[in-house]
Amino acid sequence: MMRTLIAAAVAAAFAVPAQSQDKPAAPPAWHQGKPPAQAESKLAPHAGKMTETPAADIPVSKLKVPNGFKVELWASGLPGGRAMALSEDAKKVYVGTRAIGRVYEVSDAGGKRTVRTVVDKLTQPSGVAYKDGALYVFAIDKVLKFDGIAKNPESKAEDLTAKFDLPKEQHHNWKYVAFGPDGKLYVPFGAPCNICEPPSKEYAQIRRYNADGSGKEVLATGVRNSVGFDWHPKTKELYFTDHGRDWAGDKGFEDELNKISKPGGFYGFPYCHNNGTPDPDVKKADPCKDVTKPVKLMGPHTAVMGIKFYTGKMFPAEYQNTAFIARKGSWNREKPNGFDVVSVRIGNDGKTTQRPFLTGFNESKDSYKFWGRPAYIAQMPDGALLVSDEQVGAIYRISYERPKGEPKKK
Amino acid sequence: MHLCVRGWWAAGLLTALFSSFAISQEPCLGCHGPDGNSVSPQIPSIAGQPKLFIENQLVLMREELRPAPQMQPIVKGMKDAEISRLAEHFSKLPAKSMEGGPSDAALLKQGEARAKALRCGICHLADFSGQNQVPRLAGQREQYLEAELRAYRDGKRKGGDTVMTEALNGVSDADIRALAHFLSRSKPVAR
Repeated sequence: MMRTLIAAAVAAAFAVPAQSQDKPAAPPAWHQGKPPAQAESKLAPHAGKMTETPAADIPVSKLKVPNGFKVELWASGLPGGRAMALSEDAKKVYVGTRAIGRVYEVSDAGGKRTVRTVVDKLTQPSGVAYKDGALYVFAIDKVLKFDGIAKNPESKAEDLTAKFDLPKEQHHNWKYVAFGPDGKLYVPFGAPCNICEPPSKEYAQIRRYNADGSGKEVLATGVRNSVGFDWHPKTKELYFTDHGRDWAGDKGFEDELNKISKPGGFYGFPYCHNNGTPDPDVKKADPCKDVTKPVKLMGPHTAVMGIKFYTGKMFPAEYQNTAFIARKGSWNREKPNGFDVVSVRIGNDGKTTQRPFLTGFNESKDSYKFWGRPAYIAQMPDGALLVSDEQVGAIYRISYERPKGEPKKK
Repeated sequence: MHLCVRGWWAAGLLTALFSSFAISQEPCLGCHGPDGNSVSPQIPSIAGQPKLFIENQLVLMREELRPAPQMQPIVKGMKDAEISRLAEHFSKLPAKSMEGGPSDAALLKQGEARAKALRCGICHLADFSGQNQVPRLAGQREQYLEAELRAYRDGKRKGGDTVMTEALNGVSDADIRALAHFLSRSKPVAR
């Protein structure tokens, strides 16, 4: 039967009259760059969930953390919740989303959390940042500022869109945004494709602005899709995560952890990946020349998201200035990869050590049996970490208690 | 059409009156058909659609991200749990092909070829029964399919992501008509 159908389809393909053959449709961006060998691949981005997952249906007990650590469900009922921005006292946590178009405010009072929607009906408002009492929201085509929001829930949005010069393409232009130690607002602009020469210069880069949108400066180019960064507590250098290209098999290419030591670096997209591997499709002479190489490769297709350097007092001393990195988990890979939070220690010599920190979201090593997807990390004033889960719309709290009798490590 | 307009009003009223109670699927049936298979050419069948697809669309319409003036009063204020119950209910109903009219052999051929060339089957599955957030197309109402495909292509169907707009970039009206003809006459298989 199947064979007959295929035969019929092939016959039909040749029978189509010439006038109905218009120009070939551009493939969807996630689909673009597929080699012939993977043409019939069934791999596709995982479906998100837009409805609330009740707390009772979130299997927190399946999550694993190293000895002495504890993970608990801190907040739920935030469908699609991902990046988090904290108010001064961390009594309010603002959470961005993509498809559902909302920004949430989680209020922490008396050991209980309540959730309200600050703003909705936006196009992928994934970028949230908080500074000097104001919440900044970045959607694909809009930038809003809510002054005094933590104290005044009725705070009216000020529209700053015109100041930020946002390009029009949606793909990879959902944002992570954050204020740096220099008080500037850092904003990435992803490449609107899987692999391509970007249609114009304004894509595949990271910029910084003054908080009001003035003083635009391009800091890094050749950045495919960064949706997470943080500053090293000592060196103050910006470390950013970056998603590698898809449709290059289970082994290629790797997601990356990169560093901006000085403005103006070129990070390789679309010509050069990993530690100097030329792209098989977009070619030029000397493709890896003058490319700033990654600090660390983070695994093929792992979907590296949020990064947070730990500076709290709660965790053991070995975690001081260690980066926690959320890997939301692969889709463009026959075998799953990621679905965890890892810790990455960066030595003075630049050598890195990666260890698992939070695991248990995917219940099989060989197939996709995941129930949650860790996305972003925030540090609370008491030194506990918050980890957001975009799949079930929840936030976990990870704390540490030194086992009895164990001396405090210096 | 008349009946349906009345249905919307009634549905809106019901929602307003009983929003604190579990919503029955009654308000849906007036327009989407007594068993979820639509008897109106311009209104989609919802029987046998993937649960996640129905949930997502109801949420997108409630959040006013997918413009749907007829649906807005019905889904306004609807709780997520109610949306999930409705989605569960309709996803389990058997899908039927509702196009009774004669089919056009040339158009069928053209539609089948275009569906293959555009690789619709990768996401919608080879039998077009849909999966997860991706809808069933087999047996869907022809007129509805044609209008929605065109709206996607022209960037007028908002909500969700841009995948369908990109997938239909540059596809002609004639091919969209052929796709709708072919898909509406593909036999829906039991999920």
